[in-house]
Amino acid sequence: MTRQKVKMAFIENESSRKATYKKRKRGILKKANELATLCGVPVGVIIDSPYDLTPEVWPSREDMDNVLSQLQRLPVMDRTKKMLNQESYLKQSISKASETCKKLTKENKELEMKEVMFDCLSGKTSPSRIEKNDLGACGNVIEQYLRNLNRRIEILSKNDGASSSSVHVVASTSVAMPIVELGSSSTAFCDMIRQQQIQSNMNQNVGSLDLNQQQW
Amino acid sequence: MVKKSKGRQKIEMVKMKNENNLQVTFSKRRNGLFKKASELCTLCGVEIVVIVFSPGKKVFSFGHPNVDCVIDRFTNINPPHPRQHTDTQLSEAHRNAIIQDLNSHLTQVTEEFEIEKKRAEDLKKKRKNSYISDNWWEEPIKELNLSQLTEFKCGLEKLRKTVTTEASKNFQTIVPRHNFDGGSSNNATFGICDDHAGNIDTNLDLYNHQRMVATNTFACNHHNMMVPYHITTPFGNIGNGNIIEGFAAEYNQNPNHLCFKKEHISGCDHHSVHPPRFGHGYY
Repeated sequence: MTRQKVKMAFIENESSRKATYKKRKRGILKKANELATLCGVPVGVIIDSPYDLTPEVWPSREDMDNVLSQLQRLPVMDRTKKMLNQESYLKQSISKASETCKKLTKENKELEMKEVMFDCLSGKTSPSRIEKNDLGACGNVIEQYLRNLNRRIEILSKNDGASSSSVHVVASTSVAMPIVELGSSSTAFCDMIRQQQIQSNMNQNVGSLDLNQQQW
Repeated sequence: MVKKSKGRQKIEMVKMKNENNLQVTFSKRRNGLFKKASELCTLCGVEIVVIVFSPGKKVFSFGHPNVDCVIDRFTNINPPHPRQHTDTQLSEAHRNAIIQDLNSHLTQVTEEFEIEKKRAEDLKKKRKNSYISDNWWEEPIKELNLSQLTEFKCGLEKLRKTVTTEASKNFQTIVPRHNFDGGSSNNATFGICDDHAGNIDTNLDLYNHQRMVATNTFACNHHNMMVPYHITTPFGNIGNGNIIEGFAAEYNQNPNHLCFKKEHISGCDHHSVHPPRFGHGYY
């Protein structure tokens, strides 16, 4: 049975209101019991409704009296510090939810901009096609990535000491970088890489030819 | 498909053993209990009070209309005065209206949050699917070797330039007013965004932006890159470039206030007077 979303407003229909009240009251008392048991703490609930003659008290009148006297024993400050009513509780919930939502939105933006960055590098798109409002965020992501790259380069350079001769042929740096104009980055990066790959493959082939000749 | 975590599990209804877990459980369940209480009040219009003591002996309470009122009624200390009836009715109606507003607001924010969560999921899925690609630069930074890193860095720096250029194009449609201090040094004008929190003249922003863009384009965080000695912009020369400060565009929801954060880039004291040599590889 799929749950239907309940609208958070007073239920106009009397019979469904009564039915909801019964179910939810049971649920709340169950939750209160679980909280008290699992955490070993005093809990007290009073529910006063037009559907019950006397107010519903949990766990029992006696236990409730104990909780109340414990409450009274506390200084006023401590008693009221974490006291909430509907208004304050809802305001609190709203601000918490807003904050979490904002954080997530920011994270999502960063993820999205990272994709855009990769797409630019691989030639799928170009900065001229980026949404105007996103350019700032994109710039930020690029900046952050560069910072991380630099940090990593620093670490590796320290470990290797003098210049490190890379074994990887793919990213060979012996080929001079072609001159790239400012406006054409959409084809710059990945094409440069491919050019180098082709170059180094050619070099390899030439090398192996030599070897073959030497063997003979 | 192997599940990463066990998911929701049934737990024993006894006091928890682990103290940390107990504290966390307490916080979560207390909040959940209050939420249920709040919902009950809204949906059924009943009066309720929930009192909870924490493991640290602090007390948390929730009450509708308020904690004291319900407790008093329960302990029969202050029976309600019939005289206050009409007053209570009006203020109650007012209160209920406020609460209704808050409830709608909360529902709205919760829905927005759900949308963002879905977006996050979709983005992560997208990244996973495009994972099998030839683009080695999309791998995590830790898995790249030094030469790859250097190459990537170079390409990314070029991309940054283009992006910054594109960003500056957005501002070129507005003609700046010439009522600013034109001949000042680097620091004075670049600090404007910090000084005028809120009431920033958009035109001044444009001026700063263009200068910042010009500086940023030539900013270096790699000592191998050559940086010009004198930077000339349409608005005059900017200092003699002893210390170049790089700028990071701050992501701001309002596109009219593209504010740049100052960022000091280390290792960038250049005493060279060489003109820029583009097209040169790295050393």
